[in-house]
Amino acid sequence: MKSHVKPETEDAAIDRILAAEEGLIPSSGFLAATMERVREEAACPKPIPFPWMRALPGIVLVVAVLGWCGFEMARASLRSAREISLAQPHWTAVSAHALEPAGWVAFALAVPMLSWILSRRLAGRSGLL
Amino acid sequence: MSAEEDLADVNRVLAGEAQAFEGIVRRWQGPLVNMAWRYCRDRGRAEDMAQEAFLRAWRGLAGWRRESSFSTWLFALAANVFRSELQRFPAVNVPLEDVAEPAGPATQHDGLAEKQSHDAVRRGVLALPQRYREPVVLYYFHEMDVGAASRTMGLPEGTVKARLARGRELLRRRFPHLNEQNTPQLSSTLRPKKEVLQ
Repeated sequence: MKSHVKPETEDAAIDRILAAEEGLIPSSGFLAATMERVREEAACPKPIPFPWMRALPGIVLVVAVLGWCGFEMARASLRSAREISLAQPHWTAVSAHALEPAGWVAFALAVPMLSWILSRRLAGRSGLL
Repeated sequence: MSAEEDLADVNRVLAGEAQAFEGIVRRWQGPLVNMAWRYCRDRGRAEDMAQEAFLRAWRGLAGWRRESSFSTWLFALAANVFRSELQRFPAVNVPLEDVAEPAGPATQHDGLAEKQSHDAVRRGVLALPQRYREPVVLYYFHEMDVGAASRTMGLPEGTVKARLARGRELLRRRFPHLNEQNTPQLSSTLRPKKEVLQ
């Protein structure tokens, strides 16, 4: 029958092996290499902070446009939900409003175009272009 | 290691004197390289990881709140760096069951067999699941001080003790011959600093 060994004794063997490990001496160039990297880091210019104040009007504009679009879409969907009639499809109404989506498409194209022009102007004024 | 020297060097670095960081690296390079070595058992990688830890310390020096000692802060930061480095590129992919076990107990004159046996146990530590590996590594790095290991890991002492006990249990199961080899008595310097672990 195998004799039972107390956990303390078993741990003592592990302690003896893992605690008695010899220390590692860093290589001779370690200090110099580390300080070189620290000096490089110290010499780097600090990262440019994001210009929140300059970006604020744009952010407000985008939020306002998105909010307005959301509101309009919700209003339009509610209106169309009220107009749905399973018995009699409104084919005439659909054809009458055929040009309405075209206006929205034009608006959707104009917003990024204006944004692009504005950003180029700002970048040109800052000397980045 | 002098806490006053650390504090003085930190103040000089924060005042803009980058060269003062050299004193910190000089004093702590040994402990940090050794700690990294215990995490990965690869000398080159240990130095790379220690260097990365020093760089993070340099960047985050202003974040040391001085509530704990500089060494506690530095070890905790280094442990985070080593942990994330090893998560990206693990040191070993060998499961604990596959770590080679020594053929039998080493005799008093069989130094090579004993060395191989000890190396196998140390490799076995790296093959432990991560939640048990780190408490084992840090407990022995901190000369069997559970408090220091728990502060480095940022975990309660009870949690560290429980994980340490489980890690050692896994090692005991994997290396049953250790019990037969346990002839030399544990010297007083190797006894746990604070309490006997359950």
